[in-house]
Amino acid sequence: MAEFSKPIKSLRHYQVLHFLSRFFLYGILAIGAIIAIIPFIWMTQTAFKTYGEHSTRKFWPAALTLAPYVGRPAPREIVVEMKPADDWRNVPRSYSQALSGVIQVDEVSRFVAGELERKDFPLPFEVNLLAVDLTDDDTANYDSFRVTVNTKVIGQFVTRLDGQQLGGPNYEGADRGRWGPHYQVIDPDPNHFVVRESWDTWHIFFNNFIYAWKDANFARYMSNSTFITILTIVGVVVNSTLAAYAFARMKFPGRDLLFTIYLATYMIPAAVTLIPNYLIIVGLEEFFQTTFGLKNFWYDNWTALTVPFMINAFSVFLLRQFFAQIPDDLFDAALIDGAGHLRFLAQVVVPLSRAPIMTVIIFNGIWAWNQLQWPLIVTSSERWRPVTVGLISFISDAAAETHLIMAGSVITMVPILALYFFTQKTFTEGIATTGLKG
Amino acid sequence: MKPATDTSDTLENLSELSRSRRKRRIREAIESYLFLLPGTLLLLVFNVFPLGYAFYISLYQWRIRKGKFIGFENYLRALGDPKDVLFVLAGLGLLAGAWMLWRKVSAETSTRELLLRFGAIVMLITGGLALVLGFPKMLENGDSEIFKSLLITFYYSLGTVPMQIVFSFLLANILFRNIRGKSTWRMLYFLPYVTVTVASAAVWQSIFDPTKGLLNLGLLNLGVSEPDLPRWLFEAKGVNLVLAEMLGITLPDWMGGPSLSLVSVIIYSIWVYVGYNTVIYLSGLGNIPVALYEAAEIDGASRWDILRKITIPLVSPTTYFLVMMGVLGTFRAFNQIYVMTRLAGPVGSPQGTTMTASMLIWKHFWEGNRFGYASAVAFILTAVMLGISWIQNRASEGKVFYG
Repeated sequence: MAEFSKPIKSLRHYQVLHFLSRFFLYGILAIGAIIAIIPFIWMTQTAFKTYGEHSTRKFWPAALTLAPYVGRPAPREIVVEMKPADDWRNVPRSYSQALSGVIQVDEVSRFVAGELERKDFPLPFEVNLLAVDLTDDDTANYDSFRVTVNTKVIGQFVTRLDGQQLGGPNYEGADRGRWGPHYQVIDPDPNHFVVRESWDTWHIFFNNFIYAWKDANFARYMSNSTFITILTIVGVVVNSTLAAYAFARMKFPGRDLLFTIYLATYMIPAAVTLIPNYLIIVGLEEFFQTTFGLKNFWYDNWTALTVPFMINAFSVFLLRQFFAQIPDDLFDAALIDGAGHLRFLAQVVVPLSRAPIMTVIIFNGIWAWNQLQWPLIVTSSERWRPVTVGLISFISDAAAETHLIMAGSVITMVPILALYFFTQKTFTEGIATTGLKG
Repeated sequence: MKPATDTSDTLENLSELSRSRRKRRIREAIESYLFLLPGTLLLLVFNVFPLGYAFYISLYQWRIRKGKFIGFENYLRALGDPKDVLFVLAGLGLLAGAWMLWRKVSAETSTRELLLRFGAIVMLITGGLALVLGFPKMLENGDSEIFKSLLITFYYSLGTVPMQIVFSFLLANILFRNIRGKSTWRMLYFLPYVTVTVASAAVWQSIFDPTKGLLNLGLLNLGVSEPDLPRWLFEAKGVNLVLAEMLGITLPDWMGGPSLSLVSVIIYSIWVYVGYNTVIYLSGLGNIPVALYEAAEIDGASRWDILRKITIPLVSPTTYFLVMMGVLGTFRAFNQIYVMTRLAGPVGSPQGTTMTASMLIWKHFWEGNRFGYASAVAFILTAVMLGISWIQNRASEGKVFYG
């Protein structure tokens, strides 16, 4: 009996050990994964915060709770009257029930006042209003909004700074614009207009993203980046497929020398070629201006951002390695069928090489989308600046408003992350093959 | 007579054939040149030509527009007295020569061995002497920023590359076992590499924020008092000094090491590249024949032995590749340093402690408009980088096992 009990004990012992080692391994994997993901969670969480929430180190953004979305009053319509107090120049007043109290339109710029005095001022017309809540003398609430007479309210910016706390920083107050009602002018009239007060759920949730998108002109940058990336990828794939095919399957004098030159360019450091490449672009720009009369054909245009990157030794090398493995029989068969090199390449080689071509696309896509230094020096206007440069200038503009910077980062990342999730398997496998064999 | 006609026929056919073959060969050559034309043209214009052009630029006083020819003055301004430069170069050459000689010695016979060893020692001593004589002077007369930036780049690669390798090797080894959800783990680890550098660097910048960042919030919760919180990207003080201060020790300034700001950038770089390295390690591990492991297991080898004697030697080509790419990458790194240190001030902030090689070139080129000088600096830094990769290459010789 004793002889039997021992193996059973050791089996259990083994099971426990096995369980412990598994637990340990999964533990390490989980720690690694958490570290890899935490910045993304932090980014998303911060992107939903308000300025106040971030400044006061609040952990969970209110926009990601149910509270702002339930129990809001139904939309209502309010008549806002803009009456001149003594004269329009200083204090045009209007009393209304727009916010829970009497609103006094307290401050209109001299220019606006002058314009309002005219009977025939053109519409639409934009007004900045600073409204003061006069119901409670102790808390003189301010509310400023920007209205466009005859079209609609663009938005409300600072809302309800509590008068008591005006001395110190009052982050909560500044954020109320996000949660508060939004106003829409429905019956425009210079002296009196009807405003609809409502709560825009979409706006409450996506506030920072909407703001960042509009403020940094992300639409422009995103389309620029997409165009530049796609064009670069097309160029690289066409050029390097042709070159790789010639190196792998064709015989011509000077092939080995040329291939060595190709490989050697891989070693040329970008730091050295940056300055001459900039001067080359400037030179091409001057040349095209003087000879063809084309202004900005190179500088500050998509050409400078894509053409120099339409070939690289890495892609040629990767494709050549693959093309060289395709059996000769296939080519002989194609030759007998009367196909030339180009047809063989297009109809046999390319369909067979989907995996390495995908790798080339992915790598060059990442590189093109990530470009920062080069676009910084060869562009001067927003017209062709990619999203990386856009994000940089947005970071400078937004400065302390981290929640907006994070929203901008999310916007920048989303397309490439979406691409990654859809092509995940090809992606990682493609990258794995490049690190092979030293 | 029949055979004769046959031969002449065949001959004619042959010559015909060879003519047509030659024609075909010429056609193929022309075709292949056409295939290569666009790529080669671009490569020549934007890669090969700029190399020579950069050297040309570096010989001029070139501020946006070409100025006067000044020969090697840009280089001398960077490196100081040519005599010292020569001393340093000769010293380095002698050291390298001594090392190579020493390695060769074992193959020789005894008398020659002695002589060669003696020669190697002489070379070592003279080389060392030349370095000792030349280097301090070069530091004194040259552009101190260059040497400082080399040191910073050195810190940067020393901080990133080994850590990346260790972590990714560990993760890849675990993932290579019988682990559930392998592709999900891999996807998660790879996430940092795919995201846009500028965006993820901006995210990390906010994580490192001294007052509201995630890291300092964590430290606050751990009980660090508000004034003691590290300033991360805004801290120019060496990381050792900061750590020592936390422990209440005072260290001399020269023991500071890389600034805390640079360490923050290093942490970011590790975060980005560990996943990438893991994926490459995984494929390297996949190339090791399973039979080797099985044989070792039958022989009763422990896990540790297998790791040490099979896994590590057999993935050494991958390790070598990753180390090379990592070191080259630190010389190239621009985006993350540019984005993360921007809020702290001008290029290389705080106080120039994040001025790596590429940032220094950027400073002279774009901020200072000194094209000529920037090109010279780029060449010098590239030469150093090539030297380092050559040493790496030599040092790994015989240690990298290619199947």
